[in-house]
Amino acid sequence: MTTVLLVDDEKLIQRSLEKTLLRAGFDVLTASDCKSGSETFAQNAASIDIAVLDLNMPGFDGNPKTGAGLDLLDDLKKQKADVPILILTAYDEVSKAKDAVSRGANAFFVKGREQGLVELIRNILDGK
Amino acid sequence: MSIPDPRKLPQLLYIEDSDESRALVRRLLSHKFVVLEAADPLDGLQLAEETGPNLILLDQNLPHMSGSEVATRLHKMLPDAPIVIVSADTSTGARERALAAGAVGFISKPIDDTFESLVEEYMNGRVEKLVDAEHHMQIYQQQLVERLEDNIRQLSSSAEKNRHLLQQNQRMFSMLERRHKLLETAARVGQVVTFILDLDELLKRTVDIICSEFSLYYSGVFLVSEDGEWAVLRAGYAAAGRKMIAENYRLPVNDRSMIGKAILTQQARIVSDFAGEDAQINHPYLPNTRSEVVLPLAVEARALGALTVQSDQPDGFTEEDITSLQTMADQIAIAINNAGSMRKLEAAGEELLRTKTFEAIATATGEAIHWVGNKAAPIPGSVGRLREDVVYLLALAARRDAEALENESLSAAVRTVREEAKAKGIALDAVLKELSAMKPNQAQALVSVESMFEDLDIVENSAVTILGIKEGLIGPARQRNDTAVSLNEMITNTVANMGLPADVVELEWAANMPNAQVDGPQIEQVFNNLIKNAWEALSDTPSPRIVVKGRRDEDPNYVLVTITDNGPGIPKDIQEKIWVSFFTTKAGAGGTGLGLSSVMQIVNQHGGRIALESEAGRGAMFSVRLPAEKK
Repeated sequence: MTTVLLVDDEKLIQRSLEKTLLRAGFDVLTASDCKSGSETFAQNAASIDIAVLDLNMPGFDGNPKTGAGLDLLDDLKKQKADVPILILTAYDEVSKAKDAVSRGANAFFVKGREQGLVELIRNILDGK
Repeated sequence: MSIPDPRKLPQLLYIEDSDESRALVRRLLSHKFVVLEAADPLDGLQLAEETGPNLILLDQNLPHMSGSEVATRLHKMLPDAPIVIVSADTSTGARERALAAGAVGFISKPIDDTFESLVEEYMNGRVEKLVDAEHHMQIYQQQLVERLEDNIRQLSSSAEKNRHLLQQNQRMFSMLERRHKLLETAARVGQVVTFILDLDELLKRTVDIICSEFSLYYSGVFLVSEDGEWAVLRAGYAAAGRKMIAENYRLPVNDRSMIGKAILTQQARIVSDFAGEDAQINHPYLPNTRSEVVLPLAVEARALGALTVQSDQPDGFTEEDITSLQTMADQIAIAINNAGSMRKLEAAGEELLRTKTFEAIATATGEAIHWVGNKAAPIPGSVGRLREDVVYLLALAARRDAEALENESLSAAVRTVREEAKAKGIALDAVLKELSAMKPNQAQALVSVESMFEDLDIVENSAVTILGIKEGLIGPARQRNDTAVSLNEMITNTVANMGLPADVVELEWAANMPNAQVDGPQIEQVFNNLIKNAWEALSDTPSPRIVVKGRRDEDPNYVLVTITDNGPGIPKDIQEKIWVSFFTTKAGAGGTGLGLSSVMQIVNQHGGRIALESEAGRGAMFSVRLPAEKK
């Protein structure tokens, strides 16, 4: 079974995405900030197939930070260099999300049409 | 040796009543300067005005006026031309007095072989320093006054000698006294000018001083309109002035009025007796004007307006009066010019404020779009799942044998489900087949009532959050209902209802604290928010304290409440941002960043003010001023 690590500090978004992924047949682990995201990954590194990270959320020091998702991206890549990573972004931050791709993310996803996220994850994992 | 082209030589003006001295200087300097000469200071002043010389040499001992007085006048007329006083006066302070009068240098007579090189140095910019300038200026002014007093004394002593002379002298005496007074008035106007920046106040005070000090009939100030077409009356003396101001009295800037002419030519206009001229020229509010002086108000050759001074006597103004009045007019012109610069400065400030406001609005709008977009993001996912779930449930419902229900309403309901699903193109049979092919736990997940309610909650919460943002941005959508509210009772209750730990909040109410005239629920929201913010800021403070104090403000029309905490304080660089919508330091902790912006909005709508004083590490104090109950 495919396991997804989902890190987003917006409770409603996190739960809604989690449900969508569960219904698509994925196993989902969730976290709400960089620190807990990094820890959850460390504990389940062997089983996690892909990480989905929000771009803006509390950073490693617990304070909200623009682009904190990129810090977590760097951290996860250090833990496991080949883990596929997908960055979640609001529709008005697409340019920042594109930077994420240049820093090693496999793709970015603009929050909204959740079914699109399922397709994107499948494409990334199939292409692997 | 080649003969220099005289057109290229600098011009030097020498004012000196001794023919020998003039001849000597001409001989010494004419190979390097075009030497202009005047034997009389009045001729010299005129010549200076006409030629604008590069350097001026002045004899100290001149007929009619002293060299220093001429220097003062010349310095004002030609501020860039260096003036050098040439004098046989070797007494102490002669040099200083010359410098105080506006000269750059002082050359002692007799004229000897150092003269030429000294003149060249002054020509090349040498300026002698006046040590303790203020002291010498005072001495110089004192001298002027003493000279004036001397004149008066001489006149009064000679007045005793003979009756005929007495009458003549009395006339002179009153003239000099008047001149003295004019000088004093000019000085007073000068003082007023320096501390009144409000132009209309300044002009009003000026015409009042001029008229009351000289028992003049009328005085008024006209300023040129922005398009340059009109001279608009901006200040006028007494009732006549007030009436004309109220009627927006103005004159076209052309040569058909004295005002217009004075502005156009930048020269004084004088009518010594209206009775002898066209008496119809008088304004109906000023029927008794017999003589009038109109002086241009100009700065750097730019006409700003004109000052009119009117007497109910014929020949009401002497030459000297006019000179003094022109001094005053020059000061007023400078003040008007300064006030204009001040206004431009203020306008520039407003422009900056507008730009800042636009920036803030643009930021807030961008942030609002971002927030609403984020909050709305889960809605489509939840709705999509609900749509699927409903279809599965409908498929199950339609499976019921309608006839077997044995209740007409229920069987009708089942039939309706089937018919409407069919009409909408939903193949319930196919859905049912899909369901039956699934494993039991998968099918269970798809019709989970819990999941459906959770998705409904997600949609509802998102919608409520978005509506909350809307309300926070444009304010509560309800009319304010201001009543007399006891803020100390209100805040005491608010604090009690907030359930904060005991001993955190300390309340201090002054005995003179008045009620506030406000909308109770809205203001309760304000204090609730501020105290809640303070409490949240104290989460890492070992012994948290919030002190709320209330009293009558320094402005007795307001009540002042301060909320002080001993938390980490608010750093200077974010103190302005905290009022901006969507700015929050509590991401994830539930803040939308609308609290303080709506607090400020509510306080402002009440005509009150809210301010923050804080330094990083030293706590924060919010002070709220609200209108007091009117009794």
